[in-house]
Amino acid sequence: MKGKYTMIISIGFAALILTAIMFTQFKTVEQTDITAIETMRETELRTELADWKTKYDELEEKLNETESKINEYQAEVSNSKESSNVLDKELAETNMYLGYTKLQGEGIEITLSDNEYKTIDRWDLLQLVNELKLAGAEAISINNERIVSTTEIATVGVQFILINGNRIPAPFTVKAIGDKKYLESAITIKGGYIDEMKVNEKTVDYTVKDLIEIPAYSGKINFEYAEENK
Amino acid sequence: MIYISIIIGCILGAIIGMNAPVISYTYSSYLAIAIIAALDTVFGGITSVLNKNFDLKIFLSGFFGNAILSIALTYLGERLNVDIYLAAVVVFVGRMFTNLAIIRRHYVDKWTNKFEQMSLKMKEVNATEKKEAK
Repeated sequence: MKGKYTMIISIGFAALILTAIMFTQFKTVEQTDITAIETMRETELRTELADWKTKYDELEEKLNETESKINEYQAEVSNSKESSNVLDKELAETNMYLGYTKLQGEGIEITLSDNEYKTIDRWDLLQLVNELKLAGAEAISINNERIVSTTEIATVGVQFILINGNRIPAPFTVKAIGDKKYLESAITIKGGYIDEMKVNEKTVDYTVKDLIEIPAYSGKINFEYAEENK
Repeated sequence: MIYISIIIGCILGAIIGMNAPVISYTYSSYLAIAIIAALDTVFGGITSVLNKNFDLKIFLSGFFGNAILSIALTYLGERLNVDIYLAAVVVFVGRMFTNLAIIRRHYVDKWTNKFEQMSLKMKEVNATEKKEAK
């Protein structure tokens, strides 16, 4: 009988352990099915983790690369902005210098007109332009023809003077932008331009103005024979 | 008595298992293989009872020994990166089917014998009734 009882108890104990473990397992499986991560084995999770780590590393590397690239680009952009600003300024100045822009400022306006005795010839104009340049004129125009580096002042026939390829009749209005005092004194100096003109019995008139407008050069400067000497 | 103890053990086990904390999935594969081993031993025990050569020592040692051994093998397989637990599952489940087949045959034989005896008895009864009627 004693052996029978031990058998009964031990078999019951075995059944208890078996069912206990089974139900624990059922519960575990059921619960772990809820979340996908927990259903994975440790090794799977490890490989997954390693994968993600490598991915993360790669992405970080890429991020760094992209960031450095962005920095480079930004530096370039700021550089080019600066340089473009400088270039714009230079271009504007060059255009002003070349006569491609309208200008205004204080200056002097001189009118040369024919009279009964004498006509104005190109030498008068050339001399005047030269005097004005000497006095620091920044821009000069004759009858709204801008005087640029290639501007010619030539005689065509009797009545006209050729300026920038255009025939200009008298009277001539010469405008110059610059320091008005210098300009005025440069031509009114004793024995200067105006005196000389008066001696030659030519009609000269001038007014000093605070605002003189000088138009842009309408032609184009082409280089056919000249090229840069490097 | 034995059946009562088994039922009580199952009920208690179910209650304990339901209240037990959830174990990590890492170890749940070991637990699963242990369950398979234990179930195999249970069916083996039933078969031995039917064959009338049941030994409690063998049953208990098989019950715990198989479970622990299968866990150890699964662990080894994990270490070796070989799915040894698959082999354990195949062996245990195959043995379970063999044992189930033996149990089935036993009961089928038993019941067919019973039916035959019953029909023989019926014949005997009929024969005696006929004799009495004569």
